[in-house]
Amino acid sequence: MAEIVCAAAVPHAPALVGLYDRAPQDAREIITRSYRAVQQQIKQARPDVLIVFANDHLTNSRIRAYPDFLIAGAAEHRGPHEWFKPWIGCRDWQVPGEPLVAKALFRGMTRRKIRMNHADAPLHFDDNLSVPTVMMQLDEMALPVVPVLQNCTVPPYPDGPHCYAVGRALAEIIRDDLPPALRVGLLGSGGLSHEPGGARYYKIDEEFDRAFLDLCCQGDHGRLLKEMTAERMEIAGSGGTPELLAWFPVMAAIGECRGESFGYSGWVNFRCGFGAVLWDLRTQRKKAA
Amino acid sequence: MAWEKFDPTLAVHDLVQDLKWDARLRQLFAQNEAAVLERYKLRPEERKAIEARDFRALYDMGMHPYLGGQLSRFIWGNDAGKGAIEATNKLVESLQGHDRDIPKAP
Repeated sequence: MAEIVCAAAVPHAPALVGLYDRAPQDAREIITRSYRAVQQQIKQARPDVLIVFANDHLTNSRIRAYPDFLIAGAAEHRGPHEWFKPWIGCRDWQVPGEPLVAKALFRGMTRRKIRMNHADAPLHFDDNLSVPTVMMQLDEMALPVVPVLQNCTVPPYPDGPHCYAVGRALAEIIRDDLPPALRVGLLGSGGLSHEPGGARYYKIDEEFDRAFLDLCCQGDHGRLLKEMTAERMEIAGSGGTPELLAWFPVMAAIGECRGESFGYSGWVNFRCGFGAVLWDLRTQRKKAA
Repeated sequence: MAWEKFDPTLAVHDLVQDLKWDARLRQLFAQNEAAVLERYKLRPEERKAIEARDFRALYDMGMHPYLGGQLSRFIWGNDAGKGAIEATNKLVESLQGHDRDIPKAP
């Protein structure tokens, strides 16, 4: 039986890196504090592999043949893809993959009737993996990573209950399918409110963001599923905010745990709300909603 | 975005994705945009809207906004501190029909 040893979720807006130096001091402090807390927890938990759920942003597949979940099964992942480098403003990075875990995940999801896709070849990564990687120096940890790129933006995309079911299956796969004693870290990457490419590109829904973070920290999954629907996310920022659905598989996999957030920034030039959550796995009340 | 207008069959989506994945095509787009547009089965009104930088019209036809944002960066710039900000501002201005409520660049 493998075990989950840490779980967190963080935003990945490109401007968090590219405009970091121009951001107000309080915003920089919140960003630094948040990523550092998650980074420290990952280091302390010593996972053997980190499974990352993140929005694909139409970076790997045609819009006419778009997978809902694409498991990156390559032996190594590199980023950012060249066109995204100046946009994010971040350095190159590379992390080891974990092909056997990627295949086990694909096999396990399929057997549990959850449709996913799997790629052996290296995938393109934009801000989805690049921003968390450089902000937390994941590439300096010698930590194998299995990205699961999620459709959070091409309708009809998997909604909250679907993503939650993915997380429940993930918990089973970790418990029953992965090698015994394997230590697994989970990371959701995306959000908070934003509307990339939309008329509300500069609008951030702070009220929504704070409510979402509060619910994540409370670990009340019943309310989360009831109140934080894909439709509600679309209102908070169409085509962008729903990437918070990448947090759902993580939460469903760990069950109802309390979490900690490290502050919130709604600095408009980030074009995205910022706040992270680190869950305390010792506080689990029940397996899943 | 009103998703009820979303039309995944638009050729502009392929244009944007190819530009993203192909550096040589990007270079050609910068030098001779018309030659690149010629390669795609764009509807006349779709091509006209691209040439006019009319994102409101493209979105009303059903273009995906995420790819609209990327198209704006092929046109106006892609670097975090300058070009991408200008691209965002021009895009929002086109969608709103005015430049009010656009914050000053940091």
